[in-house]
Amino acid sequence: MSHLLKNKELKELAKIYDYVSMCTHCGNCKYGYEYGSASNFAAMLCVQGEKFNFDSYRGSRGKVSLARSLLHNRIGWSDKAAHVLFTCTSCGACQQMCETDIKPWILRMFEALRYEAWKQNVAIPENIKAWSSTIGTLYNPYKEPHEKRLDWLPSDLRYSMPTKAEYIYFAGCTASYRRKQIARATVSLLRKLKVDFTVVDDEWCCASPLLRTGQYDLAAKFVEHNKALPEKYGASGFITTCSGCYRTLGRDYTMDAPEGYADKYGKMTGVKVLHTTHLIEEMLNKGEIEFTGRFDKKVTYHDPCHLGRHAEVYETPRNVLKAVPGLQLVEMYRNRKFSYCCGAGGGVRGGFADYSLETAGKRVREAEATGAELVTSACPFCYTNLADAIELNKSQLKMEDIVEIIEPIVRRK
Amino acid sequence: MARGNNEILANLEQIVGPEYVSNEEADLQPYTWDMTWAEPRMPDYVVMPKTVTEIQRVLRLANHRKIPVIPYCNGTNIGGLCVPEEGGIILDLKKMDRILKIDPETCYAVIEPGVSHAAFSAALKATNPQWKGEEFSKGFEFGWGVHPASASVLAMAINHGIGHLNGRIGINSQLISSMEVVLPTGEVAKIGSCAYSDSWHSFLPLPRMDGLFTGWLGTTGIVTKLGVWIFPIRPYRDVLTIAAASAEDITKYMVRWRHYSLCDEVTAVSWWLAQIPIVFPYSPKPADAPEFFSYTVISGWSEEELAYKRKMWKEVVEKERAKGTKLIDFEYPPEAKKGRTELPSRIVGSTKNYSKSCGGGIAWPGTFAPCRSWPILYEKWKEIYIRHGLSPATRFTDYQGAHYGMLRCMTPFNKRDPASVQAARDAMVECVRAGIPEGMLPYKPPVEYQNELNAVADAGYMYLMAKIKDMLDPNNIMNPGKLGIR
Repeated sequence: MSHLLKNKELKELAKIYDYVSMCTHCGNCKYGYEYGSASNFAAMLCVQGEKFNFDSYRGSRGKVSLARSLLHNRIGWSDKAAHVLFTCTSCGACQQMCETDIKPWILRMFEALRYEAWKQNVAIPENIKAWSSTIGTLYNPYKEPHEKRLDWLPSDLRYSMPTKAEYIYFAGCTASYRRKQIARATVSLLRKLKVDFTVVDDEWCCASPLLRTGQYDLAAKFVEHNKALPEKYGASGFITTCSGCYRTLGRDYTMDAPEGYADKYGKMTGVKVLHTTHLIEEMLNKGEIEFTGRFDKKVTYHDPCHLGRHAEVYETPRNVLKAVPGLQLVEMYRNRKFSYCCGAGGGVRGGFADYSLETAGKRVREAEATGAELVTSACPFCYTNLADAIELNKSQLKMEDIVEIIEPIVRRK
Repeated sequence: MARGNNEILANLEQIVGPEYVSNEEADLQPYTWDMTWAEPRMPDYVVMPKTVTEIQRVLRLANHRKIPVIPYCNGTNIGGLCVPEEGGIILDLKKMDRILKIDPETCYAVIEPGVSHAAFSAALKATNPQWKGEEFSKGFEFGWGVHPASASVLAMAINHGIGHLNGRIGINSQLISSMEVVLPTGEVAKIGSCAYSDSWHSFLPLPRMDGLFTGWLGTTGIVTKLGVWIFPIRPYRDVLTIAAASAEDITKYMVRWRHYSLCDEVTAVSWWLAQIPIVFPYSPKPADAPEFFSYTVISGWSEEELAYKRKMWKEVVEKERAKGTKLIDFEYPPEAKKGRTELPSRIVGSTKNYSKSCGGGIAWPGTFAPCRSWPILYEKWKEIYIRHGLSPATRFTDYQGAHYGMLRCMTPFNKRDPASVQAARDAMVECVRAGIPEGMLPYKPPVEYQNELNAVADAGYMYLMAKIKDMLDPNNIMNPGKLGIR
């Protein structure tokens, strides 16, 4: 009797109740495990569950159960419910492990839950509320003036970027305001590789932080705005170094539910979305890139959740790294689909900085255990969290984005 | 919203630390229900101890204040076993997750309640059987069940969990070699060889006091450490398959084959259970399709040993055919074969098959039954299931030779439709009622099954059971409502 949908006011959740009700409560989502092989991978992957322990936090089962309890009117909203929802990094590990038919809907359900939470009088993390209050006018979650978005771009380039190009380099907010060296390295790389691209001053936040935190209404104008950019600049696609932007532009803008939000905001069609590593890999495969130097270091690669589990891009960055002369790639125990989140996603870095950095610290220790000198990734947001954790933990590790590794030692053939 | 009372909450916080106690409904809600039809019930507190001492203190408090305590590891042992019938404290044991010992010479391991099958499997596969440093082979295995990798090994074992390899090594509870338990009144007791030394290898030749804590559904104490036997992995495996036109015929084949004790497992599934997803609601099988499909897993230390077992299996099939048993050749799909030879097995068979069609509800009359009752009960159950609009998705599995076996019927139902829930519950309870006179006993029984058992149990048995329960748990705080005797 208790599984009846009673609370229809939770419209976004109620809409997907068919899928929410498909969770069998089996608990597969609570632990990372690889079946079958002679030596099994087995490790905790749920960042949130590892930190907060209770089943409410562990894997998707706890959140599905929360959704059902709310929809069944068995419990009401509370600050605790908000804490359960907003401490999830949306890393997708639980979705990876799920074997039931709710699987593709899990992340969408988390976001729908958060959407509903915003309408209640519950404790949404203050920092999320703070950036959300200004993002509508500043177009970035860092509360920086939009006019300074392109400050990272060397002045000689700033006013010489073409008004029309094949690609728009979509730097994203983190590279634009916080990790400018990644944006600069990307532009330099694209120029070396003779890619026809431009950088635009009316790039807005891709809306990833808004969608991941369930702010559907606020996200609408961002999606609409950015979708119009390719036509405006005569571009056929976006290139981005940011995994969050890649997931959002490449999936949320272009795919219907549950993978994306095209059902809600309309579909972006005919626009190619490439992560920088895709472009490099493609050019390597075509023999268009020549290395002019070496990178004699032992390196470990951290899979960004938005590029890895969300978009299933695991080998492309590795293929790029493996092509670098001198670079020795070593893997952390938790890698690819079984990777461990850096702790920043899902609004957690903004909402719970200490917990976020504690998680990143765990990942840094895992990277250290490989014997690598340097940890690399393909996402400025992961970069930020891991680099901060390296500093905080006084680790000897260095951090560089893949683009920073590649850029100094390549040229177009 | 918070539940319980602040004084108890403060006491619990003092014992395990505030971050490991919650009385907030948002934290409590995942502990209210499981896969089955068990009606959700809200606990008042969830507590996550890390040590035996903390458990002792929680139990003393609960006993003093007469608060129910429900032991909980991962909540996957279903049957509503962890659903708090009368509220109280969920004692979530997953933080006690150490593998304390793997003895590769005496072939046992010692684990805590929070050790998952995933972690145990990985650790066993990384440990090689040896004697005084000389390695004999690669890796150990255990009686892997059909459950999520996150499921607790200890909980499966003390609740008579079933699974793969059971034909050769028995069910998980037969592999228990020693245990440590906290009594409901707070005392700690070691049982088996560990009561005398640090060796956890055996209960024998001591009195089998482990029986006070296995099969009791968490109503007599908290098992905090468990010794279990482990087995060297045999490097060669194969899966042999055969189908039959009737339950009678497949049983004849299975009984003859398992007579030789040559297989790790022999299982048969009805046509409805072989479908992905299980047919829900019921529809008839095609007239020309076999009624049952069977697989058997064989293993060995050499290809020759495997070849011998294949030869013996073929002889069994030929002998049965010669007697007129209708056996039909069929080949398992490679993926399914892989699932049976690379253990622990993926849980596809347990959950994926059901959720799309029916809104997440799964339960089963899962029983231990003498093999002679399989075909009799199958026909009875089939009639009951079809009458309730459900598919007779039935499974027979042999446990350790000729002694007993598993008979169960996987039952998807729609939790969102009260009529569907009712139909499934009615059908399953009716099946249990029909089975008990044939020697069938439900495992991990939901309250409804337990009531059926109690109604026909020997009076002396019930008296003894109540007496033991009262002796161990005078205030009936341990998982109350599950045994139906207090």
